[in-house]
Amino acid sequence: MKADDSHIDKNSPPMILEMRGITKSFPGVTANDNVNLELFKGEVLALLGENGAGKSSLMNVLVGLYRPDAGDIYVNGKKVHIHSPKDSMELGIGMVHQNFKLVDTMTVAENVILGEQEQRFAPKMKEVSTRIREISDHYGLNVAPDCYISELSVGERQRVEILKLIYRGAEILILDEPTAVLTPQESQDLYKTIRQMTSEGKSAIFITHKMDEVIRFSDWVRVLKKGKLAAVKRTADTTPTELARLMVGREVLFNIEKDEFKPGDTILQLKNVELKGSDGIKLLDNLNFEIRSGEILGIAGVAGNGQVELTEIITGLRTIDSGSILLNERDRTNKSPIEMIKSGVSHIPSDRVAMGIVGDMSVANNLAMKGYREKPIIRGGILRRARILDLAKRMISVFKISTPSTNTHVKFLSGGNIQKTILAREIDACGDLLVAAYPSRGLDVGATEAVRTEIVKQRDAGRAVLLVSEDLDELVSISDRIAVMFEGKIIGLVDSNTEHEKIGLMMAGIK
Amino acid sequence: MKTNRVAAVLIILLAVVLLAFTGCSKEEEAKVEEKAAVESEAADEPFKAAFVYIGIPGDLGWTYEHDRGRLAAVEALGDKIETAFVENVPEGPDATRVIRQLAQQGYKIIFTASFGYMDPTLEVAAEYPDVYFEHCSGYKTADNMANYFGRIYQSRYLSGIVAGAATKTGVIGYVGAFPIPEVVRGINAFTLGVQKTNPDAVVKVVWTNTWYDPVVEREAAVALLDAGADVIAQHQDTTEPQKAAAERDVWSIGYHSDMAKFVGDSVLVSAMWEFSHYYTTRIQAAMDGTWKTQSYWGGLADGDVKLSDFSPLVPAEIKDLVMAEQSKIESGEWDVFNGPVYDQSGAAVIADGAVPSDGDLANMSWFVKGVEGSVNQ
Amino acid sequence: MRIHFEKRKTYSAKASVLTPVISFLVSLILTAVMLAAVKINPAEVYAAMFRGAFGTWRDFSETLVKAIPLILTSLGVATAFKLKFWNIGAEGQLVLGGIGASWVALFASAWLPPAILLPAAIIVGAVAGSVWAGVPALLKVKLGVDETLTTLMLNYVAIIAYDGIYTGPWRDPDGFGFPGSAMFPEAAWLPRLTGRTHAGLIFALIIAAVLWFAFYKTKWGFELQMIGNNKKAARVLGVNIGRNIIIALLISGAISGIAGACEVTGIARRLQQGLSLGYGYTAIIIAWMSRLNPAVCIPVSIIMAGLLVGGDSVQIMMGVPSAMGQVMQGMILFPMLAGSIFSEYRLRLSRDSAATAAPTEGGLA
Repeated sequence: MKADDSHIDKNSPPMILEMRGITKSFPGVTANDNVNLELFKGEVLALLGENGAGKSSLMNVLVGLYRPDAGDIYVNGKKVHIHSPKDSMELGIGMVHQNFKLVDTMTVAENVILGEQEQRFAPKMKEVSTRIREISDHYGLNVAPDCYISELSVGERQRVEILKLIYRGAEILILDEPTAVLTPQESQDLYKTIRQMTSEGKSAIFITHKMDEVIRFSDWVRVLKKGKLAAVKRTADTTPTELARLMVGREVLFNIEKDEFKPGDTILQLKNVELKGSDGIKLLDNLNFEIRSGEILGIAGVAGNGQVELTEIITGLRTIDSGSILLNERDRTNKSPIEMIKSGVSHIPSDRVAMGIVGDMSVANNLAMKGYREKPIIRGGILRRARILDLAKRMISVFKISTPSTNTHVKFLSGGNIQKTILAREIDACGDLLVAAYPSRGLDVGATEAVRTEIVKQRDAGRAVLLVSEDLDELVSISDRIAVMFEGKIIGLVDSNTEHEKIGLMMAGIK
Repeated sequence: MKTNRVAAVLIILLAVVLLAFTGCSKEEEAKVEEKAAVESEAADEPFKAAFVYIGIPGDLGWTYEHDRGRLAAVEALGDKIETAFVENVPEGPDATRVIRQLAQQGYKIIFTASFGYMDPTLEVAAEYPDVYFEHCSGYKTADNMANYFGRIYQSRYLSGIVAGAATKTGVIGYVGAFPIPEVVRGINAFTLGVQKTNPDAVVKVVWTNTWYDPVVEREAAVALLDAGADVIAQHQDTTEPQKAAAERDVWSIGYHSDMAKFVGDSVLVSAMWEFSHYYTTRIQAAMDGTWKTQSYWGGLADGDVKLSDFSPLVPAEIKDLVMAEQSKIESGEWDVFNGPVYDQSGAAVIADGAVPSDGDLANMSWFVKGVEGSVNQ
Repeated sequence: MRIHFEKRKTYSAKASVLTPVISFLVSLILTAVMLAAVKINPAEVYAAMFRGAFGTWRDFSETLVKAIPLILTSLGVATAFKLKFWNIGAEGQLVLGGIGASWVALFASAWLPPAILLPAAIIVGAVAGSVWAGVPALLKVKLGVDETLTTLMLNYVAIIAYDGIYTGPWRDPDGFGFPGSAMFPEAAWLPRLTGRTHAGLIFALIIAAVLWFAFYKTKWGFELQMIGNNKKAARVLGVNIGRNIIIALLISGAISGIAGACEVTGIARRLQQGLSLGYGYTAIIIAWMSRLNPAVCIPVSIIMAGLLVGGDSVQIMMGVPSAMGQVMQGMILFPMLAGSIFSEYRLRLSRDSAATAAPTEGGLA
């Protein structure tokens, strides 16, 4: 694609980084195919693409974790060879990975200087701390040098990573899905920090899924599709719809159609539910709510405020200390998982790989993991392979699961297809209640849309849905009501057309 | 392409191995020729004798003594015989297989040198009536299966006299393998010897439930040393208990072989086996066709058991006392278990003046007074 | 030239068949090099081993005698390992099975009709093994006690108890005090098929077939597979993990118990020394090499038995020290175990001109 050169403006700031013709393949996959990238001083470049489009692998080439099969990298116009993260750091390129690389048992300051070269003598911690405070104040990072990492929240840890890179002299900051783990407020703060940096001539590359983030925040957008560069756009000249089209090759349906809200009988009812942790702290505190047939109740909240525990007590994975859980007016308090399944509860668990699938078993077997207990799959204790395959083929076609075969081990599928596998299994066996925790987390646009559409279908078919999500857009677009959780309590139960800001404030504990 | 490289590496390896093979087989051919030459000189095929060992000849104990006996037979009978041995054969089902394989391969006389080989030997003996079997330390016989053993208790008694004279703490440690009559008899004889020079001394017994396990044997000896023993005796197959004693600078009594050779002067004396005579005569008998089944139990007088040389640490008057006792036994004038002998409760199990039968001795399962321990573990 | 290990992205059926075969060949080559290095002709050694283990019908029958307890204990181990329950207590379960069967054969013959003495002995052996495996399972499920420790320690308890029994209370009253129980009555002898090969072989084959069917064709096997591969997901999907562990371990212990019962009623026909020969530990290796597939456990056990039996023949025929036999067995096992890594990883040779920091991609680092 010749898109690149035509977009370079004569008035552009100087180009500080150029990747030319990068190709990187893994056995069976070409992750990057002749990809070019340009980054200008003081600007923010967004790398957009579906899961597996090659964004992360391109950045891993840039920081020396992968070695490209072909292609060159130029920094400030000079050809460079990057063989390790150390090389890239020396060139002023640093990356904040999705999984932070911090040592929990050390302080912020110790982490910042950890692995620094040329430390013949014990570093003077006082100087390091002072410098950290300066950087922190200057960029609004709000990080205390003497805190232990284990005491910090996810957002704070991310700020430590950024601080570490600035401390080490990064001129180019690469952020891999930085806002995936942040609250809306924290995201705003992050944008401010990055803006402060770019105003001083530093540059940033953002890997993201979130369209609004791209539009609000970047100067340039590069869209990757299946390892190739699909488009280069100035952010000002494009729209979310156009970008989405470039990304997935079709218009993404952001407004999921759903029937009019006509709630029926109460399906699930929680009365004065209380759950204590091993340390006696209340994880769930006096929960009272109900979900009716044909209704999606969204659960909003910053991660760790009891949402996962809520899904676990409803699905029988945890027992509550007091209160009661009613399903179709029958008492189902502290029943085992199998009893809850038999009572008609389906569950899309929060951690899909760890809790939702058995990675070393085939797609077909994973699809049968609900139905294997009953006819026609089982007869006289014996599994009927042909029936499992029939079921799998049907589900694969209905849910458009992309898999090489029914026999492929499910762990080799992409995140989106793993989630579709779980969804297919759970929906097929679903009775009256679907509990979905973070169903679209980390999925690309196409898969997200498929998952949301499917959940709405269940609602329209008269089921009750409990949807836990961190994505406010998701909650607002498909829920009928939204309950906001904070420190184990439901701090507010609102209509889904409530303003984002109001929900955001409640998530922060402000009513 | 990658698989090609792997294949190449494999082919090279294979080539190296083939070269090694050809090198070897050339040497082998030469050996075979030599052998053939030797064989043609001999009137006929050498008589094949085999030995099944529980341990390895390098144990410096039980198996070492048997192998010394085998080598003595080879020395005595020369080219006329060909011997082989199989070492480390566990008692139980594996022994049957090994003995059978030996019979199948044309060995004409097979010595099986551990108690647990008794039933396997009997089983194979029934299948190969033309092969002579000799089982050591058991009690079953057949037309083509003899058993043999020695009155080691006599040597034990003599070594006990030395131990009794040596102990200062009055506690002697005894590492025993299994609480079976053979071992119990040895402990009793030893204790009677101890009491000859030190009537108040006690002999503390620890069971290991193994014939051959250097680590366990040592641990048992250490436990006895910690309990105050200053002389260590044993009924085991290695020198580890004696070594443990030497490391604490206390004395020990050897068993099986002359353990002073391997441990040093702290081994005051050893109760020894001497199988050379028996093996030579039995193989000779088998060759001559005069072999007959028997239950053989030879003593000091027959030269099947003996006492080693004394350590320089043993005073002359003790040596003289031992020698006097030895000649009493050799002459047949007296034997170790002649009454009265008292058990742990003080009852005279063997009345004053009574002489127990070999059957009584073979079935001995009670301790004499002065032993601390239990035959039921 | 650089060698990388890359984690395989897909399972290769070819690799899973070729890997053990190639590993075995490599083992033979390595062992040959070692033998040649100490001036022993490897060709002769292999020939002696093969002849010793499979040369005549009688030799093969001896190999089978050793294979029977290996097949049974490896099936027992595989049943527990399916759940990733690390039962390394097959040895103790075998010993308990032997004790249980001996009890029936020695003491129940007084009041049990002879016709059911043998079946009763086998069943009691199975139950005894079952109990011995059930205790760690219960401790794990109810109290979360690590099974590796409990199963291993119960081995020692079993062996000491067994030593104590045949040297003590169950000692043959007519045995001149020698260790070992009395001979079992003939009604408690497991029939022999050929040579010393006893009917335990039939049990082994039947149990292998049943287990294979259960593992791959039944609801129970499906649940075992789910638990073994992802315990958390199995729980979410409503599988009762605790109950499955206990059931699987009772079966696992029962199979090893049958192995012990067959050993005492089929080979020694009395309780004596030589029951605990490490079958339960070799079984772990066999189960692992068979990838927990009951059908594969059979040939692997026979090969392993052949190695053990053939090793003795080498000693007899070539005068090689017994230690060399053990070294050879080790040399043969090692590449086979190392080989299993190739079904998870692939080896990649690459030429790197730049001698700089190694890339971490897919590496073992």
